[in-house]
Amino acid sequence: MAIKGNDVHVVAPEVAISFLKGIMPFDTLDEKTLRNLALNCRIDFFPKGTRILTAGTTELTHLYLIQRGGVKAFIENDNGVITLKDFRGEGAYIGALGIIRGTPANLNIETVEDTFCYLLPREIFLALIEKQASFAHFYLKSFSEKVVTTAYKELRHHKVAPRSSDDLYLFSIRVGDLVKTMRKVAASLTIQRAAAFMSEYQVGCLLVHDAVDAEKIVGIITDRDLRNKVVAAGLDFNQPVVTIMNSPVLTVLSQSLCFDVLLKMMTTGIHHLAVEHGGRIIGVITSHDIMLLQGHSPYYLLKEIRVEHQIVGLYPLAQKIPEVIRGLIGEGAKAGNITQMIAILNDHILGRMLTLLENELGPPPVPYCWLLMGSEGRREQTFKTDQDNAILYADPEDEPQRQAAELYFKSFAAKAIDHLVNCGYPLCPGEIMAINPRWCQPLSVWKQYFDRWVAAPEPQELLNATIFFDFRCGFGKEQLADNLRDHLNRSMKGQDLFLFHLARQCTETRVPLSFFKNFIVERDGQHKNRLDIKRQGLTPFVDFARVLALKSGLKETNTLARLKVLMAAGEIQTDLWSAASEAYELQMQQRLVHQLKQIEAGILPDNYIDPADLSDLERRMLKDAFAVIERLYSVLNRLYPGA
Amino acid sequence: MFNLLKPGTWFASPDPLILRNREFFRDFDQSKPLSEYTFVVCDTELTGFDRKHDEIISIGAVVIRDLQIDLGSLFSQYVKPRNLKHTEATLIHRITPEQLADAPSLEEVLPEFVEFIGNGLMVGHFVELDLGFLNTASRKLLGGTLANPAIDTIRMARRYRQMLLGPFCEEDEHSVSYVLEDLAREYHLPSFKPHDALEDAIQTAYLFLYFLKKFRKGGLLTLKDIYQAGRVGSLRY
Repeated sequence: MAIKGNDVHVVAPEVAISFLKGIMPFDTLDEKTLRNLALNCRIDFFPKGTRILTAGTTELTHLYLIQRGGVKAFIENDNGVITLKDFRGEGAYIGALGIIRGTPANLNIETVEDTFCYLLPREIFLALIEKQASFAHFYLKSFSEKVVTTAYKELRHHKVAPRSSDDLYLFSIRVGDLVKTMRKVAASLTIQRAAAFMSEYQVGCLLVHDAVDAEKIVGIITDRDLRNKVVAAGLDFNQPVVTIMNSPVLTVLSQSLCFDVLLKMMTTGIHHLAVEHGGRIIGVITSHDIMLLQGHSPYYLLKEIRVEHQIVGLYPLAQKIPEVIRGLIGEGAKAGNITQMIAILNDHILGRMLTLLENELGPPPVPYCWLLMGSEGRREQTFKTDQDNAILYADPEDEPQRQAAELYFKSFAAKAIDHLVNCGYPLCPGEIMAINPRWCQPLSVWKQYFDRWVAAPEPQELLNATIFFDFRCGFGKEQLADNLRDHLNRSMKGQDLFLFHLARQCTETRVPLSFFKNFIVERDGQHKNRLDIKRQGLTPFVDFARVLALKSGLKETNTLARLKVLMAAGEIQTDLWSAASEAYELQMQQRLVHQLKQIEAGILPDNYIDPADLSDLERRMLKDAFAVIERLYSVLNRLYPGA
Repeated sequence: MFNLLKPGTWFASPDPLILRNREFFRDFDQSKPLSEYTFVVCDTELTGFDRKHDEIISIGAVVIRDLQIDLGSLFSQYVKPRNLKHTEATLIHRITPEQLADAPSLEEVLPEFVEFIGNGLMVGHFVELDLGFLNTASRKLLGGTLANPAIDTIRMARRYRQMLLGPFCEEDEHSVSYVLEDLAREYHLPSFKPHDALEDAIQTAYLFLYFLKKFRKGGLLTLKDIYQAGRVGSLRY
């Protein structure tokens, strides 16, 4: 007899329903379900500094939904070193993964503010997952087991040098350290001039100072103001900026911790704050500036990608990937895992984008599979590399369907490629992209292509093979890609001539063994005296693994994975496998670090390493790595004599 | 005739509900940990503050168990006043006369409410006012008053401020507000524009939970500690 009310008005309080309605994926539930849920909820309060969950220990009896306040998620390794993983604020959930997997909490959760949570009983949450398609989709898709386990294992066991202070940057860096050169304009300046300043300085906001006293900051204008108050509202841009500025400007002290400032932004919803030092405004801090620091939480980014509802919203998210990777490198993760993480992040961007695109264009007439080739296919991209993709779709049943498919995928591919470019994935100069009609074909045509290349190993065919035969399904119906892979493996049987040529092409690359004495480096052009670590160092491993993978009919495309399976199958010896894997990964690491440095210096990343930049130890390690290439070549020579 | 000599028979015998209510608190133990008590946070809406003439027109309440607000244990009921005319003049804007005309009378609602609160401790924002009206009605309708101990969130708010300020500071009472809405804002509680007694009760429950857990963090672990802190007011974190 707990619930009262003579039906005149609702029993479940509106406040509870409106809270649940405001968070994903609860917003998809109907009123009746929400009402029922609300009545099963409890509300708890956790003062700042309360440990809610302990990793590996706390059994989850409830899903926590944060109504007010915020928590930090962190892990602690055996040495007591703490790595901050995530910050979760209002509307976020805690404990879903543990409930779904039936395991204890995987992260430590502690409140960083006074926090109120709604507690939804475990059974009810599980029932929702089972019954509501939107729920299963939202949560299950969010925990790709791979992401969670690989990265955590990495962090726990391979931390080269634990640098906890780096991870707690939010608590150690003060906003004063992040402020960039102050850009300000007079209040009397026209909107157009101000906008011109913004593009010139490449900033998203400007402080506005008093028309007479330049020291007196009176307001702030942002990109958003230009969009909302000027362009959308049709305002005359010869008006002074004072008409559109936000005033007064919210300020924070330069000695404030980034964390506190972030909280202030979250609670006020204002993302541009002026920074004050010694009574003077010294610049602006934006949530973006702080988020860049936060870049190293891949989960945060994945979460953002998953909930993005607009393709254009994916553009800036894709641009955050290098920041995430920078964080991982900083944490000492191994190259193999880093490239995996890059692949996962890129796949999420792609998957989300194509899903949204399907919503836009309607469902495809036949099932399809978005193929990724080359380094993307091998999950070995470093920072932004060219697009290598294609569309493989199911064979149409009749002529109208054939035409429909052709038309649909043509426009689908055109839009997708465009969006990918906007996300920062440059076009492939060789036009190996789905937009090329040749690479947007039904399964039967793809089979013909592959058969032809295998049968007639001319240089162009061999080149195609090195790119296309590393394909994998990036999005869509995986079965189609599997089907094609099986076909390729079948047709490869007895095609030793093809493999012979592939092996010969592989061994043509000279081993830069004499690295110390006379650098085997590019002799001419802009990369003179530099080592191409990709072509000379990494490609031999990739090619070697491909030849043997095709010979043995492996499904794997990743080089390290191929080597491992080859070793397990007895195709290569254990010591060669471990030497090759190590050498390969080491060079990948070198390449990543090199490219990261370039990105940070504002240079377009490339693969040319100046030996002069390497330490003695690095050179010795590289030399050892190159020595392994010779061993690989001798294996190929044994298999394909004369190659 | 002899009955006249027995005290207790001079008045009508209390309702069994009241007897049971008294039974709950006969040996009330204040020394248990806070989490073992059930609290009933309650709010009433009145036609005015005059206990002789004004009436209860709405009761809302929510239960706190294990120091968590239980949204499944709610009480929400409009009450038809005896004098509907009188009400119309002074009526609080958020209830319409039609809603009241259709509502049951306090004779029906009060027993249900007493049943609902059971052995819980009453909590309210200026709880004295709510209890005053409830007890007036209870004495009249059920032949006795409620024995449930009560905690006032306004007093808790005062105490909390004093704890933060320390024993040597005196705060200017006029400069601070103890209005529910202002307190919710001051302590960054989830706040909302409540539209009935139930939601006011929930807002009060948030405030109560906030203070209770803050006090608990400050080392006040039992109900007795809370009560004593209320009297002494010298504890600091």
